[in-house]
Amino acid sequence: MNFDIIHLWRFEIGGFEIWITETHVTTWIIMGALIALAIAVRIALKNFKDVPGGFQNFIELIVETFDSFLKTNADPKLMFLGNWYFTVFAFLLLGNICGVFFLRPPSSDWAVCFAFAIVTFVLIHVMGVRYRGAGYLKSFFEPYMAKGKIPNLLLFPLNIIGELARPVSLSFRMFGNILSGTILLGLLYGIAPVFIRVLFPVPLHMYFDLFSGILQAFIFTVLSLAFISAAAETE
Amino acid sequence: MSPEQLILAEHLATVMSWSALGAGIAVLSATITAAGQGYIGAKTVESIARQPEAKGALTTTMFISSGISETGGIYGLLIAFLLLYANPFVGRFIELFGLG
Repeated sequence: MNFDIIHLWRFEIGGFEIWITETHVTTWIIMGALIALAIAVRIALKNFKDVPGGFQNFIELIVETFDSFLKTNADPKLMFLGNWYFTVFAFLLLGNICGVFFLRPPSSDWAVCFAFAIVTFVLIHVMGVRYRGAGYLKSFFEPYMAKGKIPNLLLFPLNIIGELARPVSLSFRMFGNILSGTILLGLLYGIAPVFIRVLFPVPLHMYFDLFSGILQAFIFTVLSLAFISAAAETE
Repeated sequence: MSPEQLILAEHLATVMSWSALGAGIAVLSATITAAGQGYIGAKTVESIARQPEAKGALTTTMFISSGISETGGIYGLLIAFLLLYANPFVGRFIELFGLG
C-alpha cells in the first residue's frame, strides 16, 4: 500500500523545483467551491430583505452562529480576527470532510496544517505585543521569584520551548487525526474483500471524515482563538 | 542471490521487524489517552446529571478537552505511521549497504 501524496506535475521557475501535488488540486477545488459560494452570496446580498427566507436565512444563520461563538471564545477587542478564523474554519471544514468525495483531504499533508498553525503562532505574539507591550515580553520570565520582584531566568528556556511546541502540537493534532482516517480507509479499500467494501465503509466515513473532520476544524479554531486571547489579555 | 546479499537481506529483515515492533509499542500510547478521554466523558456525564441545563456548554467543553488530550495518542500514532510507511531506518540501511 502506498499512502504517499501523488505528485502530478513538476516544473522549474528560476532554479526552484515546484511540485504540483494532489494537495494543491484538492485545495483548488475547495477554494473554487468557497469562492463560488462567496460570489453567490455577494450577488444575493443585493436582494436581501428585512425578513429573511430560504438562502438568506441559511447564510445569516451561519454568520450569526460564528459571531456568537466568537463573542464567547475571544476577547472583545479581538473580534476583527473573526474574518480570518471564519475563513480558516470554512476551509478546514470543507477540506476535512472532502474525503467523502474520494478526494485526499489537504490536512493529511502536514504542510497545510503547519501553514495554518504558523499563522496562529505569529498572531499570538503579534497580538500579545500589540495589546500588552513589555508586559507580554515579561511573561516569558514568569512566575517571578522573590514575591514577583526578580524575573526567573531559569524558566525562560522552558517558556520558549512551550511557545515553540504550540504550532507543532496544533498542527500535528489535526494532521494525525485526518491522516489516520485517510490511511485506515485506504487500507479498507485496498485489502478488504469486495463485499466488505460496499456497505462497511459508510460508518467509517461518517466517523473519520465527518465527525472527526468537523471536530478537528472546530478544535483548531477554538484553540487558536483561546491562545490569542490568552496572549492579548490585559490583567 | 549471492551469500553476501543474503546476509544483508537478513539484516534488513531484522531492521524491518524491529521497526514493526516499535510501531506496535508506539500505538500503546493510545491506552493512556483512552483512559484520559474516558475520565473526561465520565465527568461530563456526572456534570450533566447534576446540572442538565448546562448540557450545551459542557458538551462543547468536553469535545475540546478530549481533542486536546488526544494529542499524546496522536503523536504515538504518527510515529507508528512513520515506522510503517516512511521508515527512516530502512532508508538509511539501503543507503549504507546499497540493497535495492
